[in-house]
Amino acid sequence: MGKGDRPKADFSDVESGSSSTAPSPAGRSYTVQKGDSLSKIAKREYGDAQQWRKIYEANRDLIANPDLIYPGQVFQIPEA
Amino acid sequence: MIRRYPAVLLLAATTLAAPGCKKSSDAGTPATSTETATAQASITEIQLGRHLSADKRVSDATTEFSPRDTIYAVALTQGSSPNATVTARWTYEEGGQVVKEDSRSIAASGTEATEFHISKPSGWPKGKYRVTLTLNGSTESKDFEVK
Repeated sequence: MGKGDRPKADFSDVESGSSSTAPSPAGRSYTVQKGDSLSKIAKREYGDAQQWRKIYEANRDLIANPDLIYPGQVFQIPEA
Repeated sequence: MIRRYPAVLLLAATTLAAPGCKKSSDAGTPATSTETATAQASITEIQLGRHLSADKRVSDATTEFSPRDTIYAVALTQGSSPNATVTARWTYEEGGQVVKEDSRSIAASGTEATEFHISKPSGWPKGKYRVTLTLNGSTESKDFEVK
C-alpha cells in the first residue's frame, strides 16, 4: 500500500434529507410514443398544439433540441 | 432489455423524423429552437451551516464543523424552471470519496432556497469535505472542514 493509500472512511451510516421553498413540479407525466412530437403532445394534453413550448420548458433537462424527442422519454406535463 | 434494443432504435429513428414543431408538415424544419427561452433557474449562492431559519436559509453560516454536527447546504437559485432537479454531492478529502448524493425536483420560480443536510450518528471523520450543488447544468461547490 502506497503512502497515499489511506483506508477509505466509512460513510455507510450517513443520514440525509432535503427540502425547498419551491414546490414539487406539478402536473402529470407522459411517455413519448412512436410518431410523437412536442406539438402533438401539446395538442393531446392541452388541446392546443401551440402550447408545445410549455412542455419543452418543463423538460429542458431532457430535451436538447425540441425537434428531437425519443420514444420512451418521460416528460412532465405542467398544469395548463 | 437487450432483445428490445433494436426495436427502440427503430422507434427512435421514426420519432427523429417527427420533430417538436407545431405542424407535422414542418417535419425536418427546426421548430422555434432558436427562440429565446425563459431564463432558466440557476444557482446563485451556496450557504453552509448547522441550522436553518424558517425561510430555509442558513442561520449560522460556517465552513467549520464538529464531528457530531448536522451539516446543511442551501442552494439559492434564481430563475424559472417548472421541472428542475437540484443535486447535492458530498465528497471527502482530495480523493473525492463520495459521502452522499441526493437530488430534489423543484418547480422554481424567482428566488428559491433548496436545502440538503447530512448527519452521521457515529461522527464525521475529521478532514476536508466539499459539497457540489448542480441545477440545470450550473454547478457550484463549497469546501468545508470537520475538526
